[in-house]
Amino acid sequence: MENKTPLSPHIQIYKWHISSLVSISHRITGIINIIAVTFICLLASILILGETNYKFFYSFLSSTIGKFLILGLIWSFSFQILSEIRHAIMDLGYGFELKTTKITGLMVIFGSIVLTIFFYLVGKNFF
Amino acid sequence: MLQINLPENSKVKKGNYFKDKTGSKNLRKVNVYRWDPSTEEGPRIDTYEVDMDNCPSKVLDILNKIKNEIDSTLAYRRSCAHGVCGSCAMNISGKNGLACTTPHAEINGDINIYPLPHLKVKKDLIGDLDGLYKQYKSIEPWLKSNSKSETKEIIQSKEDRAKLDGAYECIMCACCSTSCPSYWWNGDKYLGPAVLLQAYRWIIDSRDEERQARLKKVADELKLYRCHTILNCTSACPKGLNPAKAIAEIKKMLATANI
Repeated sequence: MENKTPLSPHIQIYKWHISSLVSISHRITGIINIIAVTFICLLASILILGETNYKFFYSFLSSTIGKFLILGLIWSFSFQILSEIRHAIMDLGYGFELKTTKITGLMVIFGSIVLTIFFYLVGKNFF
Repeated sequence: MLQINLPENSKVKKGNYFKDKTGSKNLRKVNVYRWDPSTEEGPRIDTYEVDMDNCPSKVLDILNKIKNEIDSTLAYRRSCAHGVCGSCAMNISGKNGLACTTPHAEINGDINIYPLPHLKVKKDLIGDLDGLYKQYKSIEPWLKSNSKSETKEIIQSKEDRAKLDGAYECIMCACCSTSCPSYWWNGDKYLGPAVLLQAYRWIIDSRDEERQARLKKVADELKLYRCHTILNCTSACPKGLNPAKAIAEIKKMLATANI
């Protein structure tokens, strides 16, 4: 009897809100960033070993996949920073009204895209 | 722990289709989650064509219409029909709410009705809330006073009374707790928004003398800090309360109090 009792559907049916979307993205980008930081540290230490390694990474990061990776990481870091600020404000007890969470959530999403473009242009010596 | 997919026995299949017999031109398709414990079959989605010309404005009215006129085997909880008792809490087109206060005109397309998410189903739209009630009991939701004089009224100032606004109105319908992904994955340990809002209600009550003990009790990695401000609770609450803010206030108290 107990075993056959079904569990009602949950994540399959629940509508996504901006706040839940930002929350899950915050976690995912957090994990990506940890891996990315490890990767960047490894990269930096391998450079010590000589020029051939530098050339290898240079060609890898210049490739389409490499560029995509860099842009993705810039976005992931931008998102994390903005979302972290939002969380810090929430930890102080502000911004829990539904409308406010929606606005701050949208600010994080669009802000991360704007920051990504900004950092990209900075990298291209645009300014 | 974290289980994204439903277990095999909970997978939902397509069920019966109830064609309209009234000949009405104003029809609406209503998909309802069905599960009958007396059969060996798994859960299914039954579809009803409902005549909207002769149906009052709320989702509960649709369910009553189905039960009275189309299919009397449908089971769901309801009582007051005025958003006070909290019996008819269910998942309506992807969002938890009270069927009696949710207007069907605000829903686009077909109406999908499920029981509250991530609960053991008892029958059709009725979920098992025993776990939640046990957790509610665990926070001891009653006034605790050590004062000797129990015959005298305990005075509360208007300001102190005002602190309870937004907390005492909770009707324990479980819309918030069952909307919370943290509660889905850790419902056995995490208290969830509904119970934490009630914990907060007693922590801030100026007449209560067990404030420290209450705070100490919820100060737990799993009981309280599983709240990651996903805020599904606040957006689900049919009474317009803010459990997420109450949880944040408890966290703030714990960060500043000397316990």
